[in-house]
Amino acid sequence: MIRKELVAASAEPMILALLAKGESYGYAIIQEVKARSGGKLNWTDGMLYPVLHRMEHRGLIKSRWGESETGRKRKYYSLKKDGKTAMAKHHEQWSLVHSVLAGLRKEQYV
Amino acid sequence: MFDLEKSIADWRKQMLAAGIKTPVPLEELEIHLREEIERQMKSGLEEREAFTSAVQKIGQARALKTEFKKAGIPVEMRSVKLVGIACGAVAGFFSLWILFVLLTVHEANLAERALGLVGITSIMLSWRYGYRFLPAISSWPARAAIEAACCLASVGGMVLFIKIIPYFLGQIPVGQILVSSLWTWAATAILGGMAYGLEKAARKANEQYV
Repeated sequence: MIRKELVAASAEPMILALLAKGESYGYAIIQEVKARSGGKLNWTDGMLYPVLHRMEHRGLIKSRWGESETGRKRKYYSLKKDGKTAMAKHHEQWSLVHSVLAGLRKEQYV
Repeated sequence: MFDLEKSIADWRKQMLAAGIKTPVPLEELEIHLREEIERQMKSGLEEREAFTSAVQKIGQARALKTEFKKAGIPVEMRSVKLVGIACGAVAGFFSLWILFVLLTVHEANLAERALGLVGITSIMLSWRYGYRFLPAISSWPARAAIEAACCLASVGGMVLFIKIIPYFLGQIPVGQILVSSLWTWAATAILGGMAYGLEKAARKANEQYV
């Protein structure tokens, strides 16, 4: 299981990257993160929503109420222009962290 | 016998008691809870087990409340809204005071008094219903910028009025001065009220589908 500090730090870039593929809603976002991480990135379900609301207040994403195929109400979120910029920045920073760690690890085995 | 709807209603009560607001975000959390219960039941769990598991996964009400509070409207935003309300209140007070003078001085005629009353009515209507005609801007930085511009224009209107009015004293009839003063303050009050109206419009847009 991944430490909760890392889970919290990765929430925003993860949501931005998921929404870059198209609009989605809270439950589907959580399920996709779980599936993609093999269940290792485990969010407390409810905690996703304050993150989504904060991102919406900051103008990174927008939301609309809609309905599922079965008629259930859902709040769909999608990326805004500022969200795309924020995603590029996150990507840059996470790639840097990853490349530093990978470089250091490589040196250990040389 | 386990009653799922009653259990969900009890869970809602707990959330409300902990300070989770309705309709947003409580409705969104309930939709999530129901989807999770449905998924768990499809994978073979009994109703009661599915409910207990879904409630656990969604998290403790108090912890959620803390997180939602952090995600709420930032302090800067609230300050802008308060400045707007203050501008509206000051300008509204002066408009009412001018109306009182307008209705009591002998120099004002009936048409001027009627115009004064229309001015006050416009302020009241804009404060009460203005949000319905304002756009719902979900991004708070954009909203804050527009609200700050409304506040600045409102304060600017007040300053301009105080600077200009002495030049007109004695030049034009008292009734006309009073009516134009009242309408200047009315415009200022309406602008100040817009900061509050934009907030309300954004909140209502978020709630209207729930």
